[in-house]
Amino acid sequence: MRTDIDLSASYPFPPERVWAALTSSEALGTWLMPNDFAPVKGHRFTFRTKPAPGFDGIVHCEVLELDPPRRMVWSWAGGPLDTTVTFTLEPAGEGTHLRLQHEGFHGLAAQLVRRIMANGWPRILRRHLAGWLAGKTP
Amino acid sequence: MNDGAVAADRFAALADPTRRHLLEQLATADRAVTELMAGLAMSQPAVSQHLRVLRDAGLVTARKDGRHRYYQLRPAGLTELRDWIDQLERFWQGRLAALGDYLHNTELHNTELHNTELHNTELHNAERHNPRDQAEDENRH
Repeated sequence: MRTDIDLSASYPFPPERVWAALTSSEALGTWLMPNDFAPVKGHRFTFRTKPAPGFDGIVHCEVLELDPPRRMVWSWAGGPLDTTVTFTLEPAGEGTHLRLQHEGFHGLAAQLVRRIMANGWPRILRRHLAGWLAGKTP
Repeated sequence: MNDGAVAADRFAALADPTRRHLLEQLATADRAVTELMAGLAMSQPAVSQHLRVLRDAGLVTARKDGRHRYYQLRPAGLTELRDWIDQLERFWQGRLAALGDYLHNTELHNTELHNTELHNTELHNAERHNPRDQAEDENRH
């Protein structure tokens, strides 16, 4: 399945170390944002960051899945977003491969936007340009 | 960051599968409402209502051409949404890099701690000899 944001990173540390950094409130506060996270399924918590227009700076989360040291899913609601964030850890040699998926932007809206921008946009440009060159309103 | 409220409206507008379908139709050509109805089992007022939501969200525009009203994709609306998602993606990229820094820093910190511990082994051993070991010693005696 295609996802909205799908990132990967590798770290030269074993999954247990990376998992610890993902599931400690103090560690998350260092590399992500200040929070009141606890590694308990069903725990509701918030991240607090700088407010922006249309966003009060608070991300409301809940621990939806917790499968140490392999997988963790959070709900993630803040500003226009009502989404999920999934961390997946896999051992890679001596280190860890981490996958981060941020999904759910109101269904498939993000995918649609990207698909249209990737495929449709050049076509729209061409069409408008052709109309422009032909001297008529596209 | 783009105005989050605008992004919220746009994402909400795109939450509906009918409106996503309409937008995809408009991505290939400007269309009249009658054309847009073709692939949908829906009345014209219902389709018009969906188009109105898309217009209010700044995702499509309408122009009159004689008796017909043609709907047109508003690329800027989509560009802004894509920028918004891209920005969030960059946020996560930055955070994942920060996670790497955190792991390296704590590793260094642990190494330093470890060295300190080695340094103080004798002291630690001496301390550890105190309460419990002492009790054991007493028991043994």
